[in-house]
Amino acid sequence: MLFAFGKTQKLPCIHTSAALDVNKNWDRKNLHMFPPQQPDEARRPAEVHHCRRQIKYSKDKMWYLANMIRGMTIDEAIAQLEFNDKKGAKIMKEVLLEAQEMAVRNHNVEYKSNLYVAESFSNKGKYLKRIRYHGRGMFGIMDKVHCHYFVKLVEGLPPKAEQKTGFDQAKNYVEQLKSRTIIHAL
Amino acid sequence: MRCNAEASLEVRYPQPFVVPVRTKKRYFIPPAVGIKGKAAVSADQEAKARAAGVVLRQEYMERAINIACTAGVFDPYIPPEGDARLSSLSKEGLKQRTEQIKQGAASQLAIRKIKEHDAEFTTKAFPVKAQEIFVDAHNALTQFNKEKLHSLVTERCYPEMVRGNRYKTLRWHFVESLEPPKVVHARCPDMVSKGNLYGQVTVRMHSRQTLAVYDRFGRLMMGSEEEPRDVLEYLVLERHLVNPYGMWRLHGKIVPAWAPVKEPIVKTVMIPGPELKPGEEFEELNYEVPKPKAVQWHK
Repeated sequence: MLFAFGKTQKLPCIHTSAALDVNKNWDRKNLHMFPPQQPDEARRPAEVHHCRRQIKYSKDKMWYLANMIRGMTIDEAIAQLEFNDKKGAKIMKEVLLEAQEMAVRNHNVEYKSNLYVAESFSNKGKYLKRIRYHGRGMFGIMDKVHCHYFVKLVEGLPPKAEQKTGFDQAKNYVEQLKSRTIIHAL
Repeated sequence: MRCNAEASLEVRYPQPFVVPVRTKKRYFIPPAVGIKGKAAVSADQEAKARAAGVVLRQEYMERAINIACTAGVFDPYIPPEGDARLSSLSKEGLKQRTEQIKQGAASQLAIRKIKEHDAEFTTKAFPVKAQEIFVDAHNALTQFNKEKLHSLVTERCYPEMVRGNRYKTLRWHFVESLEPPKVVHARCPDMVSKGNLYGQVTVRMHSRQTLAVYDRFGRLMMGSEEEPRDVLEYLVLERHLVNPYGMWRLHGKIVPAWAPVKEPIVKTVMIPGPELKPGEEFEELNYEVPKPKAVQWHK
């Protein structure tokens, strides 16, 4: 196919600049095409992958926010991030709005509220190093931290987590006890 | 005298090599820090190169472009209203047919000019070839065969056909032709300089086609694969007459003002509402969606 994207080869070379060895796999997930569906098949939900690179924020602090919105509907997620006091929340909200706009415009999503956050995570970006001066001629290497943030929006309602009742758990426990056997018995 | 000769012949014995050992380097500067004024460094390098005699040729930011097609349709054909609605047996239908047969004088002139440059052009054989080009071009579009498409379709028409379709699946089928295609209009505009002739011929085609457009996830966006539709089209084909290797290629389509409205896509779309002053409320019942003006446009 003319539009099949080959993987960029990472040749063993010491002269790679910072921009060349960046991983663009998340953006390539948006270019994956599916074959046309038969009329009797269930309608495949649309997926949108979006990311922002080299955000000037810590990946650990971003992790808290990413965990918070995982599994929420997009309206709920945007509302929660809007009234959150952290610096990463504003950036995350921008990313979610961009992804929603992309979904409606390019990926044939019908209703912009009919999306939920399927995957959301952050990881470490490229750090800049600086000197932090201590007393007595000692120094420390200060890292200027950056992080990447990735989000995947899927069309439809978020999947419901199964609610296990106390009775169900008790039943499972009793069944486990009943199914015990004595090994090497006569 | 003797001491001079002795002094000149005096051999220098090698001195013991003493390395001045100072305190060990205790600090570490990361490589990125401390490079201030990179622009100053590059200016120094340029001066050094010039002094050494290295001459850099002036870089011209130019690129030659070959133009092989015109930018649009010159003097577009205005299809008569009610075309293909009236049967040939009624009085109005006969009138239309007679009008259509005697094409305008400018078209006759243009056809004569085209025959000067292209010996094989005839008003009888050309429409068949035009239909073949049309069918081949659309089949190449479904397969996304870029090279074949570029040879069958001009550079102006190519982006209009292909834009937005890259991550979509198209299924198109030409069922049959309801009426034999006909040359309806011809013009010979010249671009930029006077002798640079391009020929543009409009062909009228009435046919039955099926089209289904699936989006990136395989869901049907528009049309259906089983239901064929009757389509009346006015295709514009173009050729660079002066170029001996020029080929007749699809240049565009003319959509008349009285064309029936296309069916909407299988998707709810938000339309921007009216601009309200602060304090006004949006009245849903009285609001009519503004419809676009019925104007002929050519694609």
